Amino acid sequence: MIEVKNLVRTFQSGDRTIKPVNNVSFELAEGTLASIVGKSGSGKSTLLSLLGALDKPTSGDVVVNGVSLAGMPDGKLTEYRRRDIGFVFQQFNLIPNLTALDNVMLPMEFAGVRRSVRTKRAKELLEQVQLDVDRHDRRINRLSGGEQQRVAIARALANEPKLILADEPTGNLDEQTGGHIIELLSSLRREHNTTILVVTHDRSLANKTDRRFRLQQGRLTEETAPKQVQGMAPASPKAVAATAPVG
Amino acid sequence: MSVLARSVGNAFRNKIRTTAVVAVLAVAIGLALAMLVANQAVTAKVTELNASVGTTLTVNPAGGQGFEGGGEPLTAQEATTAAAVPNVTEVVGTKALRLRNATEAASQGAGGGGGFGGQATTTMTTSLTPAVDAGTLGNRNQETGTTGTQPARTFSLPITATGIGAEVDSTGKALDITDGSGLGDYTAASKSALLGTTLAEKNSLKVGSTFTINDQTFTVAGLFDAGTAFGNNAVYLTLPEAQTLAALPGELSTMIVTVNSMENVDAAKTALQTALGTDKADVTQGQRNLETAVSSLDSVKNISFMAFVAALGTAGLIILLIMVMLVRERRKEIGVLKAIGAPNRTIGLQFVLEALVLVTLGSAVGAAVASFASGSIATALIGSSTTTTAAPGNRGAAGGFPGGGPLGGATQLLTSVTASASPGVIAAGIAAVFGVAIIGALVPALLTARIRPIEVLRGE
Ligand SMILES: Nc1ncnc2c1ncn2[C@@H]1O[C@H](COP(=O)(O)OP(=O)(O)O)[C@@H](O)[C@H]1O
Ligand SMILES: [Mg+2]
Repeated sequence: MIEVKNLVRTFQSGDRTIKPVNNVSFELAEGTLASIVGKSGSGKSTLLSLLGALDKPTSGDVVVNGVSLAGMPDGKLTEYRRRDIGFVFQQFNLIPNLTALDNVMLPMEFAGVRRSVRTKRAKELLEQVQLDVDRHDRRINRLSGGEQQRVAIARALANEPKLILADEPTGNLDEQTGGHIIELLSSLRREHNTTILVVTHDRSLANKTDRRFRLQQGRLTEETAPKQVQGMAPASPKAVAATAPVG
Repeated sequence: MSVLARSVGNAFRNKIRTTAVVAVLAVAIGLALAMLVANQAVTAKVTELNASVGTTLTVNPAGGQGFEGGGEPLTAQEATTAAAVPNVTEVVGTKALRLRNATEAASQGAGGGGGFGGQATTTMTTSLTPAVDAGTLGNRNQETGTTGTQPARTFSLPITATGIGAEVDSTGKALDITDGSGLGDYTAASKSALLGTTLAEKNSLKVGSTFTINDQTFTVAGLFDAGTAFGNNAVYLTLPEAQTLAALPGELSTMIVTVNSMENVDAAKTALQTALGTDKADVTQGQRNLETAVSSLDSVKNISFMAFVAALGTAGLIILLIMVMLVRERRKEIGVLKAIGAPNRTIGLQFVLEALVLVTLGSAVGAAVASFASGSIATALIGSSTTTTAAPGNRGAAGGFPGGGPLGGATQLLTSVTASASPGVIAAGIAAVFGVAIIGALVPALLTARIRPIEVLRGE
């Protein structure tokens, strides 16, 4: 579904060169729920924005369903983000003066969905992320962090994307709500065969994913048997070796 | 929520700023519109004045004008020569006489009028009392003709009697007869006269009443209105009658030459000057006063146009800077829209609509301001130009030829200007501001939208 080839992203900081993503390669099959863990500042957000076509790699390529993002013109990249990607930002990035409902409706407006359909679907999505009905018409800047996070998740699901990229989607949620969001993502994978990649610090979330990656100083490695380490469940047969070269 | 609704909402996101922006825009746009209105009014007036100068040329004896100067008087022969010049359709001769109130003249003695250049006129006595008080200016001018040894006295102004060869005033403009009738045959001597309305009123004369010039009785055939107090302090006689009174048959003070069309005026002026000889006659187009008025109005016109452009430019600059600022401030939002798949044109449209909301409000308030301000601005502009042109007029009024006729007309035209804007002109001005607003919103929004979303999202 998504294939990452030797992805590198460097930043120039003064006279130092930072490499938060350094030669990362991996592949995710359709319908996979995968997680990336790693220390703060290890490059997780940078990697995710490259996959979501929000940023351009210094070198390497991302191939989605056989189409390379590297060669795509700007207009096509926008279309890719609108149609194929649901991005949950670590900082939510909602439009502050619009209501929760309007924010969720925005991507559908850009996709040309009819108004009545948009409203109906936006309401359903907000219910799915368990946002109280009385918060639907409240402006974003009057919502709590957790409420904003759920609106951001609902917005990412709006256009029924094939790939969901979520940057710490449960970071601001209590255990129970976080657990519910994990459930929601799992059900999307089951019912719509959606491919999901989450960046998380949340062990319980990471443990429920099919594949677990660790990003360390720009290098990606796949954890083979964390569930045995945790002693919670037998190792998943899907957890095969990461394709990312180490060193 | 549609793009339009979002844009309108965004326009009012920061209410205090929106109010400030609309207010500043309104002042600039209002000023621009007011200047445009003033410009239009002045342009219309210049056209009107040019048309009123029109196709007439005035011929004065070389070296003289009105009662002033020296040289040889014009004669009937020159009138014939002038009539033979190509494109000349009509030549009307005039003979100006200076009338003094008989009672006053007797009390002051013969020296009273001695100071006036006498080449083109002859001073006579009349039973009429002038309708204009000498006032400070009149007295000051009169003193040039007397010695300072006498104690200060109050003079009355002389009245000008002009013999005319057709029913036109001293500038060639048709007389506006408000009561009675004209003089009939202007080429024959007759004891009929036309009186200015105020002069008739001052002397309690009506159509059919009589008065005297040099002890000869004249009947009031009609009253005319020249439009000004000075212009109305005048008497018109037939040309031969005036020449007879002056005992100078065939002599003319001025000739009013009508040219067949506007385009031929310049050529005819040159031809006329050549035909009459520079040593014999001065040919001028219209009245100097009028030309001064037109040229000063022209400068007002230019200034008002520059002010219009400047105010419009300011409005444009304001909206340009505001939009650049707004877009910068909402860079992150553009990044979000871009990140969730908004095409560039949607982002551009959203900001353009927002700019249009601001400019529409600014224009509406500005138009209201302009509609209140433009009338007084136009009057103030044209009023100040009148003051400058009126100065020589006052001198002429006190001392000589009835320059008040044309000048008074001009003054009246100028002051009667009421600015009215054509919708087309307002539309053009506002369209220009809207154009700037669209560009001011579109260019920075699109430039921002072209940047990778992550860079914009990260902020500065
Ligand atoms: N635009 C940038 N310019 C310079 N350095 C950057 C930029 N973006 C991210 N970095 C650096 O790259 C590293 C990885 O950042 P990030 O991907 O946000 O980490 P995280 O894993 O916490 O999400 C950090 O050290 C950060 O300082
Ligand atoms: Mg991060």
